[in-house]
Amino acid sequence: MRRLRNGAPAWQFGFCDHRKRRCTVRCYSVLLPNSLISKLLKTLSISILLAATAAAHPVAFEGAYQLMSGTSGAVQNLELYRSYSAQAAWGLHAMRFEDDEDEIFASLQHNWLLKRWNLPAAQANVYAGLGAGLAGEVGNGAAPAGSGFFRADFETRRVYTAFDAKWVESADVSRGVFSAAAGIAPYKAEFDQLNTWLILQAEHVTGMEDKLDIIPKVRFFKGPYFLELGSTLRGKPVVNFMIHF
Amino acid sequence: MKFLSTISLLVLSATLAQAAPDRVATVKTTVNGMVCSFCAQGILAHFKKHPAVSNVHVDLTRKLVLLEERKGKTITDAEIIEHIKKSGFETVKVERVKQSFDEAKGG
Repeated sequence: MRRLRNGAPAWQFGFCDHRKRRCTVRCYSVLLPNSLISKLLKTLSISILLAATAAAHPVAFEGAYQLMSGTSGAVQNLELYRSYSAQAAWGLHAMRFEDDEDEIFASLQHNWLLKRWNLPAAQANVYAGLGAGLAGEVGNGAAPAGSGFFRADFETRRVYTAFDAKWVESADVSRGVFSAAAGIAPYKAEFDQLNTWLILQAEHVTGMEDKLDIIPKVRFFKGPYFLELGSTLRGKPVVNFMIHF
Repeated sequence: MKFLSTISLLVLSATLAQAAPDRVATVKTTVNGMVCSFCAQGILAHFKKHPAVSNVHVDLTRKLVLLEERKGKTITDAEIIEHIKKSGFETVKVERVKQSFDEAKGG
């Protein structure tokens, strides 16, 4: 890590200028003062209103934008993706981990629908994603970070199950978020009706004091709008929102 | 007289044949994987943009996507299959039925 003249730490990114064929000789540096990074992270943390650790829909239909936002226990999440096909999407992903020192992560992410089983009365999916961005403790600057996720789900009109795993790694931040959820629909809703699901989710965030969060929640969706409301057993509210447009 | 009748029949057939594309047709598509209305929003979004489609209905219970074609316009089977695929689902069967769109909706 380099420092500016005023002593503030900065991050250096080097890349080769292939057009000038000076790969090994000439590099460029981007120097960002620590105070600026902190300010940006604070702004980002305020802008994250809500979150969902379970990125319920990492890839939607071709041409769709999907906005996912929410809070689930100790993790807040904000995702905006553009599905450029029914199998792939890219966009922005930000997470905030609430701990003794809150941590923030923001990245550009690419998601893949690896496999989908379209059955007569069920659908099953396997997704994965990779991201690259910045992560750090709020107020202490940020370092380059990488992230990844894996998700598998199975759903009928009455039964829902899902497993999610996410990782964020940087010099200062190393988190994993693992969640498993199962739910039932008390009635079979038609396409234009309000859908209701009762879901029980177990979630573990590595490095957190509380080992496991159990989250009962109610899921509603109608048209392109999706809302989940619940609470951890320790009383932390859980709110997740999603929209396709 | 027989000659005149034949001519009349030919003229009538030709008129009906010409009028055929102007009728409103209903297309019934059976689709696999449609278990969630939130996930199936793409079907609505894609077909609503098609110039030959005036109405779309998704029936999760019967696993059907019903399309009403505009007068004089047609959406091909290949286009239907492609739109369903872009929405993330799998077409099982495409049928052109004689029922009106509302009749087909009612089962």
